[in-house]
Amino acid sequence: MIESATFHVITTELVVGSFALAGLCFVLHSVSSFRNSESKFVSMMDTTAHMALLFGLLALPFAIISGINSSPSGAHTSPLLANKMLLSTAGGGLAFGVLYARWKMSGGESPSHVHNAFGSISTGCMLLTASLGGSYTRGDSLTEFLPFVKEDTLLLPSWMSILVIVLILAALIFRQSSTIEHG
Amino acid sequence: MRSKLVLFITLCLVIPLHVSGNPGGVGNSLENMQCGGACHGDADQNATSNLQLSLQPSGTVWVGQPAEIVVQISGLDTSHALDELGIFLLSSTNANGDIPTTDGWDILSDGMGGANNYIEYTSVDSAVLTHSWILRADEVGEKILYVSVHHGDNTGIDAGSPFFGVSQAYSLSVEPIPDNLQRLDPEYKPPTSRDIGESTNLCVQTIAASNVIIEWREPSGLPNQLDTTQVNGCWEAELPASLVASNIEWRAILDGEGPQQTTPWFSLTSAEPSWEADELALMLQSIAHVVLFFGLVLLVRKPRRRNDEFKDYLEENI
Repeated sequence: MIESATFHVITTELVVGSFALAGLCFVLHSVSSFRNSESKFVSMMDTTAHMALLFGLLALPFAIISGINSSPSGAHTSPLLANKMLLSTAGGGLAFGVLYARWKMSGGESPSHVHNAFGSISTGCMLLTASLGGSYTRGDSLTEFLPFVKEDTLLLPSWMSILVIVLILAALIFRQSSTIEHG
Repeated sequence: MRSKLVLFITLCLVIPLHVSGNPGGVGNSLENMQCGGACHGDADQNATSNLQLSLQPSGTVWVGQPAEIVVQISGLDTSHALDELGIFLLSSTNANGDIPTTDGWDILSDGMGGANNYIEYTSVDSAVLTHSWILRADEVGEKILYVSVHHGDNTGIDAGSPFFGVSQAYSLSVEPIPDNLQRLDPEYKPPTSRDIGESTNLCVQTIAASNVIIEWREPSGLPNQLDTTQVNGCWEAELPASLVASNIEWRAILDGEGPQQTTPWFSLTSAEPSWEADELALMLQSIAHVVLFFGLVLLVRKPRRRNDEFKDYLEENI
Protein backbone atom coordinates (compact mmCIF):
# COMPACT_ATOMS: atom_id res chain seq x y z
CA MET A 1 0.00 0.00 0.00
CA ILE A 2 1.39 3.38 -0.97
CA GLU A 3 2.01 5.75 1.94
CA SER A 4 0.25 9.12 2.16
CA ALA A 5 3.55 11.02 2.05
CA THR A 6 4.62 9.25 -1.16
CA PHE A 7 1.21 9.74 -2.75
CA HIS A 8 1.36 13.40 -1.73
CA VAL A 9 4.65 13.84 -3.60
CA ILE A 10 3.15 12.32 -6.76
CA THR A 11 -0.06 14.37 -6.66
CA THR A 12 1.79 17.56 -5.73
CA GLU A 13 4.06 17.20 -8.72
CA LEU A 14 1.01 16.76 -10.95
CA VAL A 15 -0.60 19.87 -9.48
CA VAL A 16 2.54 22.01 -9.62
CA GLY A 17 3.43 20.94 -13.16
CA SER A 18 -0.06 21.54 -14.47
CA PHE A 19 -0.52 24.88 -12.73
CA ALA A 20 2.93 26.09 -13.80
CA LEU A 21 2.08 25.32 -17.42
CA ALA A 22 -1.30 27.01 -17.02
CA GLY A 23 0.25 30.10 -15.45
CA LEU A 24 2.83 30.43 -18.21
CA CYS A 25 0.12 30.11 -20.86
CA PHE A 26 -2.10 32.72 -19.15
CA VAL A 27 0.79 35.19 -19.18
CA LEU A 28 1.70 34.41 -22.79
CA HIS A 29 -1.96 34.70 -23.77
CA SER A 30 -2.17 38.19 -22.32
CA VAL A 31 1.16 39.29 -23.79
CA SER A 32 0.43 37.96 -27.26
CA SER A 33 -3.16 39.24 -27.32
CA PHE A 34 -1.78 42.77 -26.84
CA ARG A 35 0.07 42.41 -30.12
CA ASN A 36 -2.37 40.43 -32.24
CA SER A 37 -5.56 39.13 -30.68
CA GLU A 38 -6.49 37.26 -33.88
CA SER A 39 -3.35 35.16 -33.82
CA LYS A 40 -3.65 31.37 -33.74
CA PHE A 41 -1.05 31.40 -30.97
CA VAL A 42 -3.47 33.31 -28.72
CA SER A 43 -6.20 30.71 -29.00
CA MET A 44 -3.61 27.95 -28.54
CA MET A 45 -2.42 29.54 -25.29
CA ASP A 46 -6.03 29.98 -24.16
CA THR A 47 -6.84 26.31 -24.71
CA THR A 48 -3.60 25.04 -23.19
CA ALA A 49 -3.93 27.26 -20.11
CA HIS A 50 -7.43 26.07 -19.32
CA MET A 51 -6.78 22.40 -20.04
CA ALA A 52 -3.67 22.44 -17.83
CA LEU A 53 -5.64 24.25 -15.14
CA LEU A 54 -8.39 21.64 -15.33
CA PHE A 55 -5.87 18.81 -15.00
CA GLY A 56 -4.21 20.50 -12.04
CA LEU A 57 -7.55 21.12 -10.41
CA LEU A 58 -8.49 17.44 -10.77
CA ALA A 59 -5.28 16.42 -8.99
CA LEU A 60 -5.63 19.10 -6.30
CA PRO A 61 -8.10 17.33 -3.95
CA PHE A 62 -5.82 14.27 -3.89
CA ALA A 63 -2.83 16.48 -3.05
CA ILE A 64 -4.69 18.25 -0.24
CA ILE A 65 -6.13 15.08 1.29
CA SER A 66 -2.86 13.11 1.09
CA GLY A 67 -1.03 16.15 2.50
CA ILE A 68 -3.34 16.25 5.52
CA ASN A 69 -3.00 12.49 6.01
CA SER A 70 0.78 12.56 5.78
CA SER A 71 1.05 15.06 8.61
CA PRO A 72 0.77 13.00 11.80
CA SER A 73 -0.34 15.94 13.94
CA GLY A 74 -2.57 17.74 11.42
CA ALA A 75 -2.36 21.05 9.56
CA HIS A 76 -3.55 23.00 12.60
CA THR A 77 -0.34 22.33 14.54
CA SER A 78 1.99 24.37 12.37
CA PRO A 79 1.53 27.87 10.91
CA LEU A 80 3.39 26.73 7.81
CA LEU A 81 0.99 23.83 7.21
CA ALA A 82 -2.00 26.06 7.94
CA ASN A 83 -0.74 28.59 5.38
CA LYS A 84 -0.20 25.77 2.88
CA MET A 85 -3.79 24.69 3.31
CA LEU A 86 -5.19 28.22 3.03
CA LEU A 87 -3.08 29.05 -0.01
CA SER A 88 -3.96 25.83 -1.81
CA THR A 89 -7.69 26.33 -1.21
CA ALA A 90 -7.41 29.96 -2.35
CA GLY A 91 -5.60 28.84 -5.51
CA GLY A 92 -8.12 26.06 -6.02
CA GLY A 93 -11.04 28.49 -5.66
CA LEU A 94 -9.50 30.87 -8.18
CA ALA A 95 -8.80 28.05 -10.63
CA PHE A 96 -12.32 26.70 -10.28
CA GLY A 97 -13.72 30.19 -10.86
CA VAL A 98 -11.52 30.76 -13.90
CA LEU A 99 -12.54 27.45 -15.45
CA TYR A 100 -16.23 28.02 -14.74
CA ALA A 101 -16.04 31.53 -16.18
CA ARG A 102 -14.30 30.24 -19.32
CA TRP A 103 -16.89 27.51 -19.74
CA LYS A 104 -19.67 30.11 -19.58
CA MET A 105 -18.06 32.34 -22.20
CA SER A 106 -19.70 32.36 -25.61
CA GLY A 107 -17.87 30.72 -28.49
CA GLY A 108 -16.20 33.75 -30.04
CA GLU A 109 -15.36 35.45 -26.77
CA SER A 110 -11.74 35.63 -25.67
CA PRO A 111 -10.69 35.75 -22.02
CA SER A 112 -9.88 39.22 -20.69
CA HIS A 113 -6.63 40.27 -19.08
CA VAL A 114 -8.37 40.21 -15.69
CA HIS A 115 -9.35 36.60 -16.35
CA ASN A 116 -5.75 35.75 -17.22
CA ALA A 117 -4.56 37.58 -14.12
CA PHE A 118 -6.81 35.43 -11.93
CA GLY A 119 -5.42 32.32 -13.64
CA SER A 120 -1.86 33.51 -13.03
CA ILE A 121 -2.57 34.36 -9.39
CA SER A 122 -3.99 30.87 -8.98
CA THR A 123 -0.70 29.50 -10.29
CA GLY A 124 1.22 31.76 -7.91
CA CYS A 125 -0.78 30.42 -4.96
CA MET A 126 -0.02 26.84 -5.96
CA LEU A 127 3.69 27.44 -6.51
CA LEU A 128 3.95 29.21 -3.17
CA THR A 129 2.12 26.30 -1.54
CA ALA A 130 4.58 23.86 -3.07
CA SER A 131 7.49 26.00 -1.99
CA LEU A 132 6.19 26.00 1.59
CA GLY A 133 6.11 22.21 1.34
CA GLY A 134 9.81 22.36 0.53
CA SER A 135 10.37 24.52 3.59
CA TYR A 136 8.46 22.04 5.73
CA THR A 137 10.10 18.82 4.54
CA ARG A 138 13.55 19.99 3.47
CA GLY A 139 14.05 23.08 5.62
CA ASP A 140 14.96 25.00 2.50
CA SER A 141 13.07 26.49 -0.43
CA LEU A 142 13.02 29.34 -2.92
CA THR A 143 10.71 31.35 -0.67
CA GLU A 144 13.02 31.55 2.34
CA PHE A 145 12.82 35.33 1.95
CA LEU A 146 9.21 35.16 3.18
CA PRO A 147 9.70 34.25 6.83
CA PHE A 148 6.23 35.36 7.92
CA VAL A 149 4.51 32.50 6.11
CA LYS A 150 6.38 30.08 8.34
CA GLU A 151 5.66 31.77 11.63
CA ASP A 152 2.25 33.42 11.33
CA THR A 153 -1.08 32.67 9.82
CA LEU A 154 -4.12 34.88 9.46
CA LEU A 155 -6.84 32.72 10.95
CA LEU A 156 -10.42 33.96 10.97
CA PRO A 157 -12.89 33.02 13.67
CA SER A 158 -15.35 30.32 12.60
CA TRP A 159 -18.31 32.70 12.50
CA MET A 160 -16.50 35.02 10.14
CA SER A 161 -15.67 32.19 7.75
CA ILE A 162 -19.32 31.14 7.75
CA LEU A 163 -20.34 34.75 7.15
CA VAL A 164 -17.97 35.00 4.17
CA ILE A 165 -19.37 31.77 2.69
CA VAL A 166 -22.96 32.96 3.14
CA LEU A 167 -22.26 36.43 1.73
CA ILE A 168 -20.50 35.16 -1.36
CA LEU A 169 -23.14 32.51 -2.05
CA ALA A 170 -25.87 35.12 -1.58
CA ALA A 171 -24.11 37.50 -3.96
CA LEU A 172 -23.73 34.76 -6.57
CA ILE A 173 -27.37 33.71 -6.27
CA PHE A 174 -28.55 37.32 -6.36
CA ARG A 175 -26.53 38.04 -9.47
CA GLN A 176 -27.65 34.83 -11.14
CA SER A 177 -31.31 35.63 -10.53
CA SER A 178 -31.06 39.30 -11.52
CA THR A 179 -32.21 40.52 -14.91
CA ILE A 180 -28.67 40.66 -16.13
CA GLU A 181 -26.91 37.56 -17.36
CA HIS A 182 -23.33 37.16 -16.19
CA GLY A 183 -20.55 34.93 -17.39
CA MET B 1 7.52 34.31 -31.15
CA ARG B 2 7.93 30.55 -31.31
CA SER B 3 11.71 30.76 -31.61
CA LYS B 4 11.84 33.12 -28.60
CA LEU B 5 9.78 30.68 -26.58
CA VAL B 6 12.09 27.78 -27.51
CA LEU B 7 15.12 29.93 -26.63
CA PHE B 8 13.60 30.86 -23.25
CA ILE B 9 12.83 27.22 -22.33
CA THR B 10 16.28 26.09 -23.49
CA LEU B 11 17.96 28.73 -21.31
CA CYS B 12 15.89 27.65 -18.31
CA LEU B 13 17.05 24.06 -18.81
CA VAL B 14 20.74 24.69 -19.40
CA ILE B 15 21.41 27.30 -16.72
CA PRO B 16 23.00 25.24 -13.92
CA LEU B 17 21.37 25.51 -10.52
CA HIS B 18 23.12 25.16 -7.21
CA VAL B 19 21.96 21.83 -5.84
CA SER B 20 22.83 20.54 -2.40
CA GLY B 21 21.42 18.50 0.44
CA ASN B 22 19.21 20.14 3.02
CA PRO B 23 21.42 22.72 4.69
CA GLY B 24 19.17 22.99 7.72
CA GLY B 25 18.24 19.32 8.00
CA VAL B 26 14.69 18.14 7.63
CA GLY B 27 13.79 17.88 11.31
CA ASN B 28 12.88 14.84 13.34
CA SER B 29 10.12 12.99 11.55
CA LEU B 30 8.79 9.71 10.22
CA GLU B 31 10.85 9.08 7.10
CA ASN B 32 11.62 6.31 4.67
CA MET B 33 15.23 5.63 3.73
CA GLN B 34 16.73 8.89 2.43
CA CYS B 35 13.33 10.46 3.10
CA GLY B 36 12.03 8.47 0.14
CA GLY B 37 14.63 10.18 -2.06
CA ALA B 38 13.76 13.70 -0.92
CA CYS B 39 16.41 14.33 1.76
CA HIS B 40 19.12 14.93 -0.77
CA GLY B 41 17.01 15.61 -3.80
CA ASP B 42 18.60 12.93 -5.90
CA ALA B 43 20.22 9.77 -4.56
CA ASP B 44 22.73 9.89 -7.44
CA GLN B 45 24.36 12.88 -5.74
CA ASN B 46 25.22 10.88 -2.63
CA ALA B 47 28.73 10.01 -1.58
CA THR B 48 29.20 6.92 0.57
CA SER B 49 29.55 7.48 4.28
CA ASN B 50 32.43 5.71 6.01
CA LEU B 51 30.81 5.77 9.44
CA GLN B 52 30.48 2.42 11.16
CA LEU B 53 26.91 1.62 12.15
CA SER B 54 25.63 -0.97 14.57
CA LEU B 55 22.36 -1.75 16.28
CA GLN B 56 21.31 -4.05 19.09
CA PRO B 57 18.52 -4.41 21.64
CA SER B 58 19.54 -3.80 25.23
CA GLY B 59 17.83 -7.01 26.39
CA THR B 60 15.25 -9.57 25.45
CA VAL B 61 12.56 -8.20 23.16
CA TRP B 62 9.19 -9.32 24.52
CA VAL B 63 6.10 -9.08 22.40
CA GLY B 64 3.89 -6.14 23.43
CA GLN B 65 6.58 -4.70 25.73
CA PRO B 66 8.86 -1.71 25.29
CA ALA B 67 12.32 -2.65 24.06
CA GLU B 68 15.31 -0.36 23.93
CA ILE B 69 17.10 -0.45 20.58
CA VAL B 70 20.58 0.99 20.92
CA VAL B 71 22.23 2.42 17.84
CA GLN B 72 25.96 3.10 17.81
CA ILE B 73 27.72 5.24 15.22
CA SER B 74 31.50 5.36 15.28
CA GLY B 75 34.25 6.91 13.20
CA LEU B 76 32.88 10.41 13.63
CA ASP B 77 36.28 11.94 14.32
CA THR B 78 38.33 10.13 11.69
CA SER B 79 36.01 9.33 8.79
CA HIS B 80 34.24 12.63 8.29
CA ALA B 81 34.28 16.24 9.47
CA LEU B 82 30.60 16.87 9.98
CA ASP B 83 28.34 19.21 11.89
CA GLU B 84 24.89 17.79 11.50
CA LEU B 85 24.00 14.11 11.50
CA GLY B 86 20.69 12.48 10.59
CA ILE B 87 19.99 8.95 11.82
CA PHE B 88 17.29 6.63 10.49
CA LEU B 89 15.93 3.51 12.13
CA LEU B 90 14.47 1.43 9.29
CA SER B 91 12.72 -1.86 8.77
CA SER B 92 13.72 -2.12 5.10
CA THR B 93 15.77 -0.24 2.53
CA ASN B 94 13.19 0.11 -0.23
CA ALA B 95 12.82 3.90 0.20
CA ASN B 96 9.11 3.23 0.61
CA GLY B 97 7.42 1.52 3.53
CA ASP B 98 10.69 1.53 5.50
CA ILE B 99 9.37 3.03 8.70
CA PRO B 100 9.37 0.37 11.45
CA THR B 101 5.70 1.12 12.13
CA THR B 102 4.91 -0.52 8.79
CA ASP B 103 6.54 -3.74 9.99
CA GLY B 104 4.66 -4.33 13.24
CA TRP B 105 6.66 -2.00 15.47
CA ASP B 106 5.27 0.81 17.56
CA ILE B 107 7.72 3.66 18.15
CA LEU B 108 7.18 4.71 21.76
CA SER B 109 10.09 7.13 22.00
CA ASP B 110 12.82 8.42 19.71
CA GLY B 111 14.83 9.77 22.62
CA MET B 112 14.23 13.36 21.48
CA GLY B 113 10.72 14.04 22.64
CA GLY B 114 8.89 12.42 19.77
CA ALA B 115 8.01 9.06 18.27
CA ASN B 116 9.91 9.33 14.99
CA ASN B 117 12.21 6.92 13.19
CA TYR B 118 14.43 9.75 11.91
CA ILE B 119 16.25 12.11 14.26
CA GLU B 120 18.90 14.75 13.81
CA TYR B 121 21.89 15.77 15.89
CA THR B 122 22.82 19.37 15.17
CA SER B 123 26.35 18.81 16.44
CA VAL B 124 28.40 15.78 17.36
CA ASP B 125 31.21 16.16 19.89
CA SER B 126 32.42 12.62 20.46
CA ALA B 127 33.98 9.98 18.23
CA VAL B 128 31.23 7.50 19.05
CA LEU B 129 27.56 8.39 19.20
CA THR B 130 25.05 6.18 20.98
CA HIS B 131 21.34 6.75 20.62
CA SER B 132 18.34 4.74 21.77
CA TRP B 133 14.85 4.23 20.45
CA ILE B 134 12.09 2.56 22.44
CA LEU B 135 10.05 0.25 20.23
CA ARG B 136 7.31 -2.25 20.88
CA ALA B 137 6.70 -5.30 18.69
CA ASP B 138 3.17 -6.52 18.15
CA GLU B 139 3.91 -10.12 17.18
CA VAL B 140 6.30 -12.94 17.97
CA GLY B 141 8.98 -13.81 15.41
CA GLU B 142 12.06 -12.52 13.63
CA LYS B 143 12.21 -8.90 12.60
CA ILE B 144 14.81 -6.96 10.66
CA LEU B 145 16.04 -3.48 11.48
CA TYR B 146 18.62 -1.23 9.84
CA VAL B 147 20.32 1.94 10.96
CA SER B 148 21.16 4.51 8.36
CA VAL B 149 22.82 7.94 8.38
CA HIS B 150 23.09 10.97 6.18
CA HIS B 151 25.30 13.97 6.72
CA GLY B 152 27.65 16.42 5.03
CA ASP B 153 31.41 16.55 5.14
CA ASN B 154 33.45 19.73 5.28
CA THR B 155 36.74 18.24 4.12
CA GLY B 156 38.08 15.64 1.69
CA ILE B 157 37.58 15.13 -2.01
CA ASP B 158 33.80 14.82 -1.63
CA ALA B 159 33.46 17.90 0.59
CA GLY B 160 30.07 19.48 0.13
CA SER B 161 28.45 16.30 -1.12
CA PRO B 162 25.59 14.68 0.76
CA PHE B 163 26.80 11.44 2.37
CA PHE B 164 24.67 8.40 2.95
CA GLY B 165 25.32 5.13 4.73
CA VAL B 166 23.23 2.14 5.76
CA SER B 167 24.09 -0.73 8.07
CA GLN B 168 23.75 -4.44 7.47
CA ALA B 169 20.43 -6.02 8.36
CA TYR B 170 20.12 -6.80 12.06
CA SER B 171 17.77 -9.61 12.96
CA LEU B 172 15.86 -9.33 16.23
CA SER B 173 13.94 -12.14 17.81
CA VAL B 174 10.65 -11.11 19.41
CA GLU B 175 9.85 -13.56 22.21
CA PRO B 176 6.46 -14.51 23.67
CA ILE B 177 5.99 -13.12 27.17
CA PRO B 178 5.58 -15.66 30.01
CA ASP B 179 2.15 -15.91 31.63
CA ASN B 180 1.67 -13.96 34.86
CA LEU B 181 4.91 -12.02 34.35
CA GLN B 182 4.27 -8.48 35.56
CA ARG B 183 4.44 -6.07 32.65
CA LEU B 184 3.20 -2.84 31.14
CA ASP B 185 -0.17 -2.95 29.46
CA PRO B 186 0.47 -3.52 25.72
CA GLU B 187 -1.70 -0.46 24.96
CA TYR B 188 0.22 1.89 27.28
CA LYS B 189 1.98 4.78 25.55
CA PRO B 190 4.44 6.80 27.60
CA PRO B 191 4.36 10.59 27.21
CA THR B 192 7.23 11.88 25.10
CA SER B 193 6.97 15.67 25.48
CA ARG B 194 5.45 18.37 27.66
CA ASP B 195 5.47 22.13 28.04
CA ILE B 196 8.09 23.89 30.14
CA GLY B 197 6.86 24.49 33.68
CA GLU B 198 4.28 21.69 33.60
CA SER B 199 4.64 18.66 35.83
CA THR B 200 3.64 15.30 34.36
CA ASN B 201 1.12 13.00 35.96
CA LEU B 202 2.05 9.50 34.94
CA CYS B 203 -0.66 6.86 34.84
CA VAL B 204 1.18 3.62 34.14
CA GLN B 205 -1.12 0.78 33.20
CA THR B 206 0.20 -2.66 34.07
CA ILE B 207 -0.76 -6.32 34.04
CA ALA B 208 -0.07 -8.69 36.95
CA ALA B 209 1.97 -6.12 38.88
CA SER B 210 1.63 -5.94 42.66
CA ASN B 211 3.76 -2.84 43.08
CA VAL B 212 5.34 -0.24 40.81
CA ILE B 213 8.13 2.21 41.55
CA ILE B 214 8.94 5.06 39.18
CA GLU B 215 12.50 6.30 38.80
CA TRP B 216 13.48 9.47 36.97
CA ARG B 217 16.81 11.11 36.22
CA GLU B 218 18.48 13.71 34.13
CA PRO B 219 20.26 11.99 31.24
CA SER B 220 23.01 9.81 32.70
CA GLY B 221 22.41 11.33 36.16
CA LEU B 222 21.51 9.57 39.40
CA PRO B 223 17.97 8.17 39.57
CA ASN B 224 15.34 9.56 41.95
CA GLN B 225 12.55 7.30 43.14
CA LEU B 226 8.88 8.20 43.23
CA ASP B 227 6.20 6.27 45.08
CA THR B 228 3.09 5.39 43.19
CA THR B 229 -0.54 4.97 44.11
CA GLN B 230 -2.85 2.62 42.29
CA VAL B 231 -6.01 4.31 41.00
CA ASN B 232 -8.45 2.54 38.70
CA GLY B 233 -5.93 0.05 37.37
CA CYS B 234 -3.08 2.45 36.76
CA TRP B 235 -0.12 3.43 38.87
CA GLU B 236 0.06 7.17 39.33
CA ALA B 237 3.12 9.30 40.02
CA GLU B 238 4.07 12.90 39.33
CA LEU B 239 7.24 13.82 37.50
CA PRO B 240 8.54 17.26 38.50
CA ALA B 241 8.25 20.21 36.13
CA SER B 242 11.22 21.44 34.15
CA LEU B 243 12.00 25.15 34.18
CA VAL B 244 14.02 25.15 30.95
CA ALA B 245 13.94 23.21 27.69
CA SER B 246 15.51 19.90 28.65
CA ASN B 247 15.14 16.12 28.76
CA ILE B 248 14.50 13.86 31.68
CA GLU B 249 14.23 10.08 31.61
CA TRP B 250 11.98 7.82 33.63
CA ARG B 251 11.35 4.13 34.00
CA ALA B 252 9.07 1.80 35.95
CA ILE B 253 10.20 -1.05 38.20
CA LEU B 254 7.51 -3.69 38.43
CA ASP B 255 7.10 -6.24 41.19
CA GLY B 256 4.87 -9.27 40.94
CA GLU B 257 4.93 -13.06 40.85
CA GLY B 258 7.88 -13.21 38.48
CA PRO B 259 11.35 -11.70 38.73
CA GLN B 260 11.43 -7.91 39.09
CA GLN B 261 10.97 -6.22 35.71
CA THR B 262 12.45 -2.86 34.76
CA THR B 263 11.31 -0.93 31.71
CA PRO B 264 13.77 0.93 29.49
CA TRP B 265 14.41 4.59 30.25
CA PHE B 266 11.70 6.64 28.54
CA SER B 267 12.76 10.08 27.41
CA LEU B 268 10.51 13.05 28.24
CA THR B 269 11.28 16.38 26.60
CA SER B 270 10.23 19.77 27.93
CA ALA B 271 9.77 22.41 25.27
CA GLU B 272 8.13 25.75 24.68
CA PRO B 273 4.37 25.40 24.11
CA SER B 274 3.78 24.48 20.48
CA TRP B 275 1.66 26.49 18.07
CA GLU B 276 -1.83 25.16 17.62
CA ALA B 277 -4.85 26.63 15.89
CA ASP B 278 -8.53 25.75 16.10
CA GLU B 279 -8.89 22.86 13.64
CA LEU B 280 -12.56 23.61 12.89
CA ALA B 281 -11.78 27.29 12.21
CA LEU B 282 -9.00 26.28 9.83
CA MET B 283 -11.28 23.88 7.95
CA LEU B 284 -14.04 26.50 7.70
CA GLN B 285 -11.61 29.14 6.51
CA SER B 286 -10.31 26.75 3.86
CA ILE B 287 -13.86 26.23 2.59
CA ALA B 288 -14.42 29.99 2.79
CA HIS B 289 -11.31 30.52 0.66
CA VAL B 290 -12.62 28.22 -2.06
CA VAL B 291 -16.02 29.95 -2.09
CA LEU B 292 -14.58 33.48 -1.75
CA PHE B 293 -12.07 33.20 -4.59
CA PHE B 294 -14.45 31.26 -6.81
CA GLY B 295 -17.04 33.98 -6.24
CA LEU B 296 -14.50 36.74 -6.71
CA VAL B 297 -13.65 35.57 -10.23
CA LEU B 298 -17.32 35.48 -11.21
CA LEU B 299 -18.40 38.66 -9.44
CA VAL B 300 -15.75 40.95 -10.91
CA ARG B 301 -16.59 39.94 -14.46
CA LYS B 302 -18.30 42.56 -16.56
CA PRO B 303 -22.04 41.90 -16.66
CA ARG B 304 -23.53 41.05 -20.02
CA ARG B 305 -27.13 41.92 -20.87
CA ARG B 306 -29.44 38.94 -21.23
CA ASN B 307 -31.14 40.54 -24.24
CA ASP B 308 -27.91 41.45 -26.08
CA GLU B 309 -28.56 38.99 -28.89
CA PHE B 310 -32.18 40.11 -29.28
CA LYS B 311 -31.06 43.74 -29.30
CA ASP B 312 -28.40 42.99 -31.91
CA TYR B 313 -31.03 41.23 -34.03
CA LEU B 314 -33.37 44.22 -33.81
CA GLU B 315 -30.62 46.68 -34.66
CA GLU B 316 -29.58 44.62 -37.68
CA ASN B 317 -33.16 44.64 -39.01
CA ILE B 318 -33.86 48.31 -38.53
